[in-house]
Amino acid sequence: MSGPDIVNSIAGLLIITSILVVDARHPTRAALFYSLQSLVLVSVLLALATVSHAPQLYLWAATAFGTKVVLTPAILYRALRRFDQSQSLPGIIGTPGSILLAAVIVTVAVFAVMPIRLPQAQAFKPALAISVAHFFLGLGCIITQRNILKQIFGYCLMENGSHLTLALLANQAPEVVEIGIATDAIFAVVVMTFIATRIESVLHSLDNRQLTTLRG
Amino acid sequence: MTDAWPLGGLLLTFLIASATAFATPLLQERTQRAVETIHIVAIAVALLLAIMLISNALNGERLFLMGGLLFVDALGGIFLGLIVVVGFLTGLYSIGYLRHNLDKREISAARLSTYYAFFHLFLFTMTLAVTANNLVLMWVAIEATTLASVFLVGFYGRRTSLEAAWKYVVICTVGVAFGLYGTVLIFSNANALLANAEDAILWTEVVKHAGSLDPATIQLAFVFVLIGFGTKAGVFPMHTWMPDAYSEAPSPASALLTAGLANCALLIVIRLAVIATGTIGPAFPQTLFLLFGILSIGVAAPLIFVQRDLKRMLAYSSVENMGLIFLALGIGGPLGISAALLHAINHGLVKTLLFCGSGNVLMKYGTRNLDAVKGILRVAPVSGFLLMAGALALSGAPPFNMFISEFMTVVAGVKAGYVWLTLVCLLLLTVVFASFVRFIDGSVLGPAPANLSKGDLGGLTLAPLGLALALVLLMGVHVPRPVAQLVADATGLINGVAANAVGTTVSSAWRTIEVVAAPRGGAVLRCVSIREEDTTCPK
Repeated sequence: MSGPDIVNSIAGLLIITSILVVDARHPTRAALFYSLQSLVLVSVLLALATVSHAPQLYLWAATAFGTKVVLTPAILYRALRRFDQSQSLPGIIGTPGSILLAAVIVTVAVFAVMPIRLPQAQAFKPALAISVAHFFLGLGCIITQRNILKQIFGYCLMENGSHLTLALLANQAPEVVEIGIATDAIFAVVVMTFIATRIESVLHSLDNRQLTTLRG
Repeated sequence: MTDAWPLGGLLLTFLIASATAFATPLLQERTQRAVETIHIVAIAVALLLAIMLISNALNGERLFLMGGLLFVDALGGIFLGLIVVVGFLTGLYSIGYLRHNLDKREISAARLSTYYAFFHLFLFTMTLAVTANNLVLMWVAIEATTLASVFLVGFYGRRTSLEAAWKYVVICTVGVAFGLYGTVLIFSNANALLANAEDAILWTEVVKHAGSLDPATIQLAFVFVLIGFGTKAGVFPMHTWMPDAYSEAPSPASALLTAGLANCALLIVIRLAVIATGTIGPAFPQTLFLLFGILSIGVAAPLIFVQRDLKRMLAYSSVENMGLIFLALGIGGPLGISAALLHAINHGLVKTLLFCGSGNVLMKYGTRNLDAVKGILRVAPVSGFLLMAGALALSGAPPFNMFISEFMTVVAGVKAGYVWLTLVCLLLLTVVFASFVRFIDGSVLGPAPANLSKGDLGGLTLAPLGLALALVLLMGVHVPRPVAQLVADATGLINGVAANAVGTTVSSAWRTIEVVAAPRGGAVLRCVSIREEDTTCPK
């Protein structure tokens, strides 16, 4: 197996872990699966660093490990564990639907990245397609899930997808860029979690169908 | 010390004001006085620094700071000036508005500190967004504006406020994530071309090499950019967060959202459109601008007409006006682009007047429901007069400022051959005009409710509106020379000078606007000046 094949294969695991995040029954379990997925992302970054001879990606991997494998899941786990006992809110589509949706999105993403002719992307087009698909899987999670906590995880998935795209296409960007994006992502998760918990305390519900007072 | 030093001062002012405002609850009973003092000093210092900075940028040069990470050019100067002026006006208005909230026990002194802290943090992030030269920093700053302002949207902590805050943070964060994809594609493409990655991430460098970028990649990137940052700008169909967020935020924050935030996103779209135009030519970006523009106007106009909530009506009007700006950008050419930039300024000023005016209505009537709000002119004559003037300005009536930019848009559309599109636009603008005439007739004029005490609100809630109206009138009667110069230089920056449009003269019954070309500041930039018939273009 060649170097790019290893990168592309590990990237494929992101899709599987994203389905685990989307279909987890409890928020804390989703946080743990998100941590697992971020570990896969870190592995992709490490493999990419070695294969592409891009030493700056080791630093990216270290940053991602600290922020996405440890910090963000810890924040989510701590903030959301009190909702584990809440009544489970099924999404609009079930697990088979999620898998089918993932398959469709990955297929479309493969065709979408075909015309891109960037030299740094040529060997990693499958990984690039997976990163784009991952982004849209996150978007799909936000649209199809009724539980607002799941929508936070949808954003996390989108963010991991764009992180991989960034690593594949723009890993020569100054380190400050990656730090800026990672910081924004952490703050976004913290802010969303804060508002979601406030909503639960006022509405006594995590169902986004309750958020329909403002219309017209 | 470089000419850009006031920019550093500006950013520091907002950051320090925010940090100290967060700390003021430690002062307990002296919290209110302390936080208001910090706030007033900060907005005044910021205004002075912005004037100095923009004066330095008026000679057509780019001012760089932090090794090129931040910069101010004519285009950024327009939006920076708008943010700081609107920040000053809404900041001034916030004092009276929040004191009223405090008196009515709707908020605590600690919440007051939180408001001012996030107000200045929001101004900091917007300033960063419009002065960023680093492509990814532009995205980071725009994302940060969402995180800083979401607490202003959910400030009152009511069910509806939280709902609005949730929709705002989810839709905008998701939307702006698309913008990141577009930005990454542009950087990646530039990085393959330029030897130095530090250069490939700078807008000023990428623009120079736009002609050599890969057309297919840039075309895809621009679609992502338009969806991503267009969500923040509030164009259809990504506008759905806007009516909720604007209506639930405190009124001065609503003004800052529409006049500041939406324009920040607009600036990023324009900057990235300049790159796209350099690579794939103007046809594709302009077609998308036209499409999003006319659809935004078309969807917003009937919704403005049917709205019975004052702030939601103003929010839909923001969608409509952002649509007009996109339409003018889509028409393109010196006249279209000048119209778009002028309209961004004009709309920002008018919306500041009206959103703050809606705050006066809320304080007086306790509701935003237009079926209950009647006879404002009799209940609170000065507020009523200011609201009436603002509504007329927003409907595009002369001699107010929005008439000028709308008129320029229409003429640019006809001259560029978009006759049918312009006619549809005019038809929709008639619906908007009718909506605001109905508002004046139904809510500003007419008999006052019997059970409401008469008398205007204090000077603190009227003076900022008066200042805003003065600026609206000034921009309508005689565009100040520095503003015209900035618009002219920025138009040149975006479009260069389209030779066939030079010499275009737009005449109305009472004034003439002429587009002229003049060499300015070296070989790259050329100047397009908008002038009245009795003035001369600077040579």
